[in-house]
Amino acid sequence: MDINILETVIIFLSINSLISLYRVIKGPTPQDRLIGLNLIVAQVTAIMVIASVNFRRPIYLDVALVYAILGYISIIAISKYLKGRKLHE
Amino acid sequence: MDIHQKWRIIRILLTTGYLIIGWLVFTGNFSPFSLSIGFLFSFIIAVFTYDIFIEKEEVARRALLPRISLLLIYPFFLIFKIYLASFKMVPAVLTEKIDPRIVHFRTRLKSDMARVLLANSITLTPGTLTLDLNNDHLIVHWLNAKTIHSHYAGKLIKGYFEIWLKKIWI
Amino acid sequence: MRLIAYFFLGMGVFFATFGNIGMLRFPDVYTRLQASSKCGITSIISIFIGLIILEGLNSVALRITVITIFFLITSPVSSHIIGRSAYEEGILPWRKEKPKDKQ
Repeated sequence: MDINILETVIIFLSINSLISLYRVIKGPTPQDRLIGLNLIVAQVTAIMVIASVNFRRPIYLDVALVYAILGYISIIAISKYLKGRKLHE
Repeated sequence: MDIHQKWRIIRILLTTGYLIIGWLVFTGNFSPFSLSIGFLFSFIIAVFTYDIFIEKEEVARRALLPRISLLLIYPFFLIFKIYLASFKMVPAVLTEKIDPRIVHFRTRLKSDMARVLLANSITLTPGTLTLDLNNDHLIVHWLNAKTIHSHYAGKLIKGYFEIWLKKIWI
Repeated sequence: MRLIAYFFLGMGVFFATFGNIGMLRFPDVYTRLQASSKCGITSIISIFIGLIILEGLNSVALRITVITIFFLITSPVSSHIIGRSAYEEGILPWRKEKPKDKQ
């Protein structure tokens, strides 16, 4: 087979994360932007894991794990920050 | 040594045990140096955080030590349910035939971990999303709501999860 | 064996696309959250299952399993927290208009 399936999957996931960037830019409420960010974090983690299998570099897996942990913590921190203020003032 | 002090020592040791399990899973390294470093830092963290992790009133044995055999089968059951949920999500995305409602109901689970797992499982099942979890009171957003009566909604949404989790924890 | 792995990878891309479409099309915060949380976690799990099948049993597969379990625990928690912050700010959920209300 000529084409590399893993790289094709990486390209499709990158296009998907660009589409979810639309919701981050346009979202009417802050929570909409957070939903977009959450999805982007998940897809970028998947891209990192696929890249580590494709390029045979197991060290990328640690990068993916740390990225997932940081994304999770940052989403919780931003939600806690949003809780203290009103939406329409 | 009174009973409160004994219970405090047991809580510190249990927290250390859970932290060491996490350390082993994330490092995957069984050399003596790694094990001793892990034990040292787990113990230091446990001394500071045992009161948050295990509350003073939570004394049932099943509430702290789950049934391991069923806990290992549970993720596969959950992954099967997640696939079912996503296949039901695809036509909803395409046709936009939705009728969302917010329903309230209670759970009969007693342990905190079991309640958290129940809320997570509800979020991952078809068309339901946990919005709030107060003691034993759940607020759930439901796509394609069939009923808003709290008892029947609870029966339909919780389903098998509560029975499973009741066997694993209490 | 490779074909099964490729099938799972394709399913991951499929669900990621549908999660995005749902997130763009649905009318309010809660319904968007439904689409993104379900389809997002399913795409992640399918891709990781495909990679584990592709790799076979070794240390890399073990690491991928750990990341999968981490996602299985944290993804519902983060979507639940976003939903709760929206609910506490008082954003009302979208309701389908009944035929009686239209007249």
